[in-house]
Amino acid sequence: MIEIQEVTKRYDRHTYALKGITASLRERVTTVIGRNGAGKTTLIRILSTQLFPTKGTATIEGLDILKETKKVREIISSIPQESQLIGILSPLEQMQLYLMARGFTASQAKEESKHALDELELYDYRNAPSDTLSGGMKRKVFVAMALAAKAPVIFLDEPTTGLDPLSRIEVWSAIKRLSSKIILTTHYMEEAQELSNEVVVIDQGNIITHGAIGNLLSSFGGKMRAEKMDGEEYDIKIANVAIKYIEKERVDEFIAKGYDIKRINLDDIFLSKGVMLES
Amino acid sequence: MNPKFILYFAWYYGFYIILRGPSYLVASLSLPLTLLFMVTIFTHGTLIAYAIAGGPIAIVAANSINGAADAAFFRIQIRIQDLFVATRITSQDYMFALSLSYLVFSLPGIALYAVLGAYFKVFMLSSALQIIAVLVLLTLTISNLSFIIAGLLKHIRNVWGITAILSIIMTVLPPTFYPYTFLPQGVIYILSISPVTPAAVLIQGIVGLEPFQVSMIFILLIETVILTFLGRKFIRWRE
Ligand SMILES: Nc1ncnc2c1ncn2[C@@H]1O[C@H](COP(=O)(O)OP(=O)(O)OP(=O)(O)O)[C@@H](O)[C@H]1O
Ligand SMILES: [Mg+2]
Repeated sequence: MIEIQEVTKRYDRHTYALKGITASLRERVTTVIGRNGAGKTTLIRILSTQLFPTKGTATIEGLDILKETKKVREIISSIPQESQLIGILSPLEQMQLYLMARGFTASQAKEESKHALDELELYDYRNAPSDTLSGGMKRKVFVAMALAAKAPVIFLDEPTTGLDPLSRIEVWSAIKRLSSKIILTTHYMEEAQELSNEVVVIDQGNIITHGAIGNLLSSFGGKMRAEKMDGEEYDIKIANVAIKYIEKERVDEFIAKGYDIKRINLDDIFLSKGVMLES
Repeated sequence: MNPKFILYFAWYYGFYIILRGPSYLVASLSLPLTLLFMVTIFTHGTLIAYAIAGGPIAIVAANSINGAADAAFFRIQIRIQDLFVATRITSQDYMFALSLSYLVFSLPGIALYAVLGAYFKVFMLSSALQIIAVLVLLTLTISNLSFIIAGLLKHIRNVWGITAILSIIMTVLPPTFYPYTFLPQGVIYILSISPVTPAAVLIQGIVGLEPFQVSMIFILLIETVILTFLGRKFIRWRE
């Protein structure tokens, strides 16, 4: 379990990346979603002991990130959003170094790395200089690091950004097979829905919704989403797309008006909380 | 301490870089070899022993200061430092690993000078250990200086300019290529702000070109301690 207690992060005088957030993350997989600049990476970096909070603290499986840093680092593995491979080293070499830093012996590290690379279909590239891998492959190497590390708690900051649909499914199934607790961020709502039982929606440094996906979806009370370019009736308008949440009985009526009808999903939780409204 | 991690990292990042990007190695040798050539020509060979003795120092110093570019790149650009922060290694492990990789990267140059030094009878086998000790201390001090620079930078671009300037100042100004006795003792102490100076004075003493100055051991040791301490403060391990 992860307990976040009034965590605030101020980067400089004007930038409050997190404004005193509190939450308990209890489920095995928790997804953090939010717009660009919402504060997701800041939160992940604070929880994984890479960044000091300005105020507040958090505990990971009962261990305080400020007072018990060393113990926390023993049980976590964190893949930063912006990390890139050292181009001149091979995926296998870098994974080995990472795993050794996590306490594996050299030979253990090599074996586990090979296994994880194989799982993500990267085995054939294990000895190639990383510079020669494609962007998505490079990203997958980092995911492989997290898988191979087998830490009790894993933080994945946008693990599947830039991956093709097949690779994404590979990563998903690998994540599902793990028994670790996982906190991940993503911009793909279907990913959050596929993987996690719990989502945290952050906007401008605040948590605006947090809960089990099923509960959040049921707050729409069985409504549907109707959307149309330049539609006249709307609850939310994004660019020129009009979005209206309607009762099931009105579906035919809106189809006749030229609206597309969609089933409610996480996008709608995101949209309806006003997250997109300022754009 | 995680010695295994340090050794593997240094080997991968020091040695494989030589194999996979040899042009950089040649570049790192070009300045000391050019100076060796010029000193030999201009002094009609009389100072060649000094230029040979100072060569390994110049190489180690330049590679360690250029390490600021690696450390800044790892921290700011490719965020590899961040990846290692959330593991069991300490900032000290990480810094030792990088420092040692710079030393590994310097090995071919040191070997070249060892051969030259043996040929011109500058280096004796009996002084090898002392010379190695000085080179290790120098690697540590200058690497830590480079971690300080890397930690202070906000943008990666500045690193190239700063290291280019520092590497010239630190390798050419101190008595790496000429007898330290050319300088008044007061100037030597002033130049000792750069750890290259005590290292160069020590080497000239060790190989018997000039009198050995015990005080330089202390200066180099104190600088190692101070810079290691400051390096740890400035690397921005947990930001
Ligand atoms: N090192 C930094 N210095 C100053 N401000 C920063 C720094 N890192 C992030 N910020 C600011 O903090 C806020 C939150 O950034 P953060 O990276 O946490 O967002 P995010 O939710 O991860 O966004 P994205 O989806 O784009 O990755 C942004 O306004 C950003 O500009
Ligand atoms: Mg982010």
